[in-house]
Amino acid sequence: MHETSIVNSIMRTLELEFEVEKMARLKGIYVKVGILSNIEPRLLHNAYDAFQMTNPGYTDAELHIESTELKIQCELCNHETKVKNYRFICENCGSPSKNVIQGEEMLIHKVEFND
Amino acid sequence: MSTIEKSNKAARGTAQCENTNINLLKANDFVADIIRKEMTKSNTLLINVTSSAGSGKTTLMQKTAERLKDKLTMAVMVGDLETERDAARIRETGIQALQIVTGGICHLEAQMIHQVLDQFDLPSIDLLFIENVGNLVCPSSFDLGEDYRVTLMATTEGDDKPRKYPKMFLTSEMMLVSKADLLPHLPFSVDNVVKDAREVNHEIEVIRVSSVTEEGIDEWCNWLLAKVEDKQMAEVNA
Ligand SMILES: Nc1nc2c(ncn2[C@@H]2O[C@H](COP(=O)(O)OP(=O)(O)O)[C@@H](O)[C@H]2O)c(=O)[nH]1
Ligand SMILES: [Mg+2]
Ligand SMILES: [Zn+2]
Repeated sequence: MHETSIVNSIMRTLELEFEVEKMARLKGIYVKVGILSNIEPRLLHNAYDAFQMTNPGYTDAELHIESTELKIQCELCNHETKVKNYRFICENCGSPSKNVIQGEEMLIHKVEFND
Repeated sequence: MSTIEKSNKAARGTAQCENTNINLLKANDFVADIIRKEMTKSNTLLINVTSSAGSGKTTLMQKTAERLKDKLTMAVMVGDLETERDAARIRETGIQALQIVTGGICHLEAQMIHQVLDQFDLPSIDLLFIENVGNLVCPSSFDLGEDYRVTLMATTEGDDKPRKYPKMFLTSEMMLVSKADLLPHLPFSVDNVVKDAREVNHEIEVIRVSSVTEEGIDEWCNWLLAKVEDKQMAEVNA
């Protein structure tokens, strides 16, 4: 259900961003989702397939999903830690940190159109 | 996050390509900002209450209303998949409560809140709660324009839940360990759940509450009163 909302939001956002004429030539949507975003790439693909079925204008537009790992950067020692098992603690100095530098993304980072 | 960087339309094979940096939930966050502005204008503290289904949100809303309704004006919006029951339960305490039936959607979105705001006389309301749909996953991604996010974690659930739902606990300012009256009968450890939650979010505040024995309800209501006062002071100073 959540993924369906996300697909709707992506398409609504793109339709606001680009003109109708351009959207008709939509070829590819590239999104980046962090593992903290609670978006499951497989379910997002399924939701997008369902969207395409009811919106034949977008049949040729492909959805590309990249997922990113979770990383924090320590405010005290600047060390970057790959967060494992959701322990938000600097592996260098042991201090807790909420400074997420990667893994929270929910971005449309590239859009492709046919000529 | 809503800045859009468009590159020159670099030809790439037969395709045109635009690099963007658009938040997937840009549409939601835009509406959340509108709600935030309205709440600032009317001096209303907005609190988003989340938890798994059945952790005690509605019961806590009832208790909170009973305690605070003589001290301030409080109202509640309740999200639910299908039914209207929760709002009716809350209205029994004598405060305004409005049901938002999501029709199967597992979370509330800013647009759903904005649509019903005109049913409230905001300038007269000091404290407005949103009881979110019961699950710890989807609601975590949707900003509703709230000042604080409060997450209930019942003692009848696993005490390792914060790390299973990290986004929710990372984005909450307060964790209420609910149904504390049941602790003697359960294998649940408050120390473990606090440790687990603080490994995700070291700043999260914690209060143990029970709507049966009323343990922690004073502390919870005092926290709310202080936040309401902060919000109203901020407006006076602005
Ligand atoms: N023992 C105990 N039961 C509670 C408490 N708060 C709520 N409940 C019960 O838990 C069930 C679900 O509560 P409800 O408030 O509807 O949860 P919600 O789904 O999160 O809104 C109901 O049967 C309540 O009576 C509490 O503090 N202690
Ligand atoms: Mg409820
Ligand atoms: Zn460090």
